[in-house]
Amino acid sequence: MVAPPPITTLERVSHVAIRVLTVLVLAYLVAPILVILPLSFTSGELLIYPLPALSLRWYREFATSPLWTRATWNSVVLAVVTTLVATTAGTLAALGLQGLRSRLKPALYGLLALPLTIPPVMVAVALFYYYARLGLVGSFWGLVLAHTVLALPFVVITIAATLQGFDVNLPRAAAGLGASPLQAFRKVTLPIILPGVVSGAVFAFVTSFDELLVILFVGSPEQRTLPRQLWSGVSETMTPAVAAAAVVLISVSLVLMAVVELLRRRGDRFRAGVPHP
Amino acid sequence: MLALVAPSILFMALFFVAPLGLFLFRSVDNSEVPGWLPRTVAALSSWKGAGLPEEPAFRALAEDLAALSGSTALPLLGRRLNHDVPGFRTLITATGNRVDPARPGSMREQIIGIDPRWGEPLYWQTIRRERHALTWFYLLSALDLRYGAGGGLERAPAESAIFLDLLGRTLGISGVVTLICVLLGFPVAATMAGSSPARANALLIFVLVPFWTSLLVRSTAWVILLQNQGVVNQALVGLGVLEKPVPLIFNRLGLYIAMVHVLLPFMVLPLYSVLKGIRPELMRAAASLGAAPWTAFLRIYVPQALPGLVAGASLVFVLALGYYITPALVGGPGDQMIGYFIAYFTNTAVNWGMASALGTILLLVVTLIYVALGRLAGLERLAVR
Amino acid sequence: MPKPSCLRIAIVVALIAWSGLAHAQTKLVVGNAGGSSADAERKVFYGPFAAANKIQIQEESFNQELAKLRSQVETGNLIWDMVSTTAINVATGCEEGLLEKIDWSKYMDPKVFQEVGGLSECGVPYLFVSGGLTYDGNRIKDGGPKTWADFWNVTKWPGKRGMLYRAEQTFEVALMADGVPPPKAMEVLAAPGGVDRALKKLEALKPNIHWWKNGAESITLLSSGEVAMAYAWNGRVASANKTNNLNLKMELGAGHVSGCQYWAIMKGSKNKELAIKLIQYAVSAQPQADFVRVISYGPANRDAYALLTEQEKATLPAKHMDKASLQLGKLYLGFWLANGDALLQRFVKFAAQ
Repeated sequence: MVAPPPITTLERVSHVAIRVLTVLVLAYLVAPILVILPLSFTSGELLIYPLPALSLRWYREFATSPLWTRATWNSVVLAVVTTLVATTAGTLAALGLQGLRSRLKPALYGLLALPLTIPPVMVAVALFYYYARLGLVGSFWGLVLAHTVLALPFVVITIAATLQGFDVNLPRAAAGLGASPLQAFRKVTLPIILPGVVSGAVFAFVTSFDELLVILFVGSPEQRTLPRQLWSGVSETMTPAVAAAAVVLISVSLVLMAVVELLRRRGDRFRAGVPHP
Repeated sequence: MLALVAPSILFMALFFVAPLGLFLFRSVDNSEVPGWLPRTVAALSSWKGAGLPEEPAFRALAEDLAALSGSTALPLLGRRLNHDVPGFRTLITATGNRVDPARPGSMREQIIGIDPRWGEPLYWQTIRRERHALTWFYLLSALDLRYGAGGGLERAPAESAIFLDLLGRTLGISGVVTLICVLLGFPVAATMAGSSPARANALLIFVLVPFWTSLLVRSTAWVILLQNQGVVNQALVGLGVLEKPVPLIFNRLGLYIAMVHVLLPFMVLPLYSVLKGIRPELMRAAASLGAAPWTAFLRIYVPQALPGLVAGASLVFVLALGYYITPALVGGPGDQMIGYFIAYFTNTAVNWGMASALGTILLLVVTLIYVALGRLAGLERLAVR
Repeated sequence: MPKPSCLRIAIVVALIAWSGLAHAQTKLVVGNAGGSSADAERKVFYGPFAAANKIQIQEESFNQELAKLRSQVETGNLIWDMVSTTAINVATGCEEGLLEKIDWSKYMDPKVFQEVGGLSECGVPYLFVSGGLTYDGNRIKDGGPKTWADFWNVTKWPGKRGMLYRAEQTFEVALMADGVPPPKAMEVLAAPGGVDRALKKLEALKPNIHWWKNGAESITLLSSGEVAMAYAWNGRVASANKTNNLNLKMELGAGHVSGCQYWAIMKGSKNKELAIKLIQYAVSAQPQADFVRVISYGPANRDAYALLTEQEKATLPAKHMDKASLQLGKLYLGFWLANGDALLQRFVKFAAQ
């Protein structure tokens, strides 16, 4: 699917210009991430080049300072619980919606995708007022539910996409062979949609793990998460520990998203191989 | 089947729709005045607004305020009315703490004796105007409008009219960011679409890596990079492009650099998926039929690319409108957008009516864009047919 | 997919265990804005007090978000026991029932706080900060600016001027530059036409103003030469001189805007008695003097002055109290409580044009 080769001088020049621009833009896209990586290994106190020497000092501070370790623990716990709740509810919702033949279907999809369209600061502020009324400000489960609502769209959309190529006759055949609905789900449906479910779960995890604004408005100090701590670091006292924390966050996101990408490619190959009726 | 969807719908309804709805309702909610000054409101319902009301209104006010004295409702009522007329807060609290409805004699004399401002029609007119359970006050203020002395609408004094500017600034910044993203994103997406699958996947990594990194981390990286002694300035000075470091952060330039960086993947990815599907044979066919390359580009390529461009651009624009974190970290005092003021009115000024009014307006703009988009997509489908 | 229930149980157990660990000692939670000021407070006040009383003092971030105070008090779900806050927020919070009303004269002598405005019903001042005319002594060597009119004089001293992006403090400075004696600045501002006069004066300087929003920025602007002169806070200036070997000079005799930071106890706090003891300790003369040694803000307790050396008193406004525009008292509080929001809008509009 390659474009026809350039012929005239104008075409050649614009071809080269576009290539150069592309390279520059792609460099611009990854540069910040690449640049702060070495900075997190600086032995000095300031985030500037040239680095006086390389050292693990700031990672050590990250790993030992109770401020950062507690924040990391909070982030992980919150994200894991959110993932469990969101993935369960989202998988059920996607399955339910797939089998639905009513006119409500697009409206329900719209409702479940709504959080994607509202500016996050409004969601956070609205939840603050709401939780203040209900006395839920600073409650752990309040945060879980808030994050679940933010993660649900990703889960539902991902699994719905996976279900697109799913053959509904398979669980029906299983039922015809005597399996109960639950068995049909566990033994037939679930293994097939598993890559989609795992992808959805990863999206939910990353959404919660990276989330800042709801925590800022609704969280209590006991629930300080890694992004919240990072925010304090950037707005108040900037030390290279902040860079180290940022690198940790980047690594987590990249690893998880790489998992999703691999699953997607595997799913593509799988779907390509399964014969459709 | 519906039962499976039920838990998710319940979550959405209880923890998203309900909070958002209540938040938007706050932009018109006016329960303070009728709730805390019931007798006064009743007494003023028959007053036409000219001059001062009669003695019964003064008595009603005395009774209402005395009932509030000692509770937190009194200063909160003062705070609410202070939004309409600066100074109302101290007026309410002072009067409420000193008025005594049981004392014999004219209430009018007593109240005006406590504070002569009660002898001015403005304060009474304000209470009368805000006597209903709902009010337009916050929404009007968010558009730099207010009720004039005669009862009609007028513009807020130019010296303090900041909200239309704010809306304009927010739209402007988002517009510029979107434009830059289109200009930078189109070549990248086109290059990727025109490459072999292997190379396209490799290039995709460069777009996906920042996309997968959180917004906060990327903004943090720019804060570090754009400082006076940061990498960018150091490079520019080292290469001889500049003589001394240029302020790149806490201003509009830094904000654009950071926001474009954050939003570019949202432009490239949808655009790429559309461009990928454009068949190059069509361009070659046009060339073989005698079309100049530029004509072929404009009349074959661009119309097919348009849905991707529109999708990417509107996504970028809507996301940019609602941004809070990036402008807060990278922008200067004059670069803050609507999101900042929503947060400010919520946390610091505790004027939740204004926060909500600004949020309502933001949401309206976002909705308008989506509706326009839906129309555009619909029209497009017709055009292609 | 692994059985979710086992994982859930494990998590719940871990959470319970972890939360159990956190409640080992009596914990007093202080809300403050972090940064170098909090570091100094920790070193001089919280550390010694916690050690002496065998308790834990935890600091949590509080950036003057009044809404958070309200939502906590209303639900009874307090995060902080006491907060470090401004005079205006003490007045507002007190009135709105968010802070404990205490008869502080039972715990300390009100007379030693007289210069800084005395004790308030709901708050105790613990540091005194002065904002004034600052310039880099290495860049302006002889004949530096002596008055605010000099600050406005961009012909004699070309270059930008750093100013605080806020109406309060900036308006008072503008009036001082317009010839108002500093102690009268608040009076003139509150009188009819005061705000207009201040804005008019600022208009004259506006093309040269570089607004700063946080204290660290004000120092960077001066040290990098980005601005020729700036309005900056004395604690930050002295700390920067000490830590980074700078030569920033403050001309407090030109007139300065000074006020206090207060501690207030949140309504319904279960550690009220403990908080009172901490405050009592921290505002007594010796800790106050030690605090000055660490961070160079003025003490609130005048007895602390007697414990300082001449060198330590150098950046403090003690000799220039007659040139102070004090941010306290009924006039100041009344004016800003009534007009804060409206003036913010006017200021934002002014700065944006």
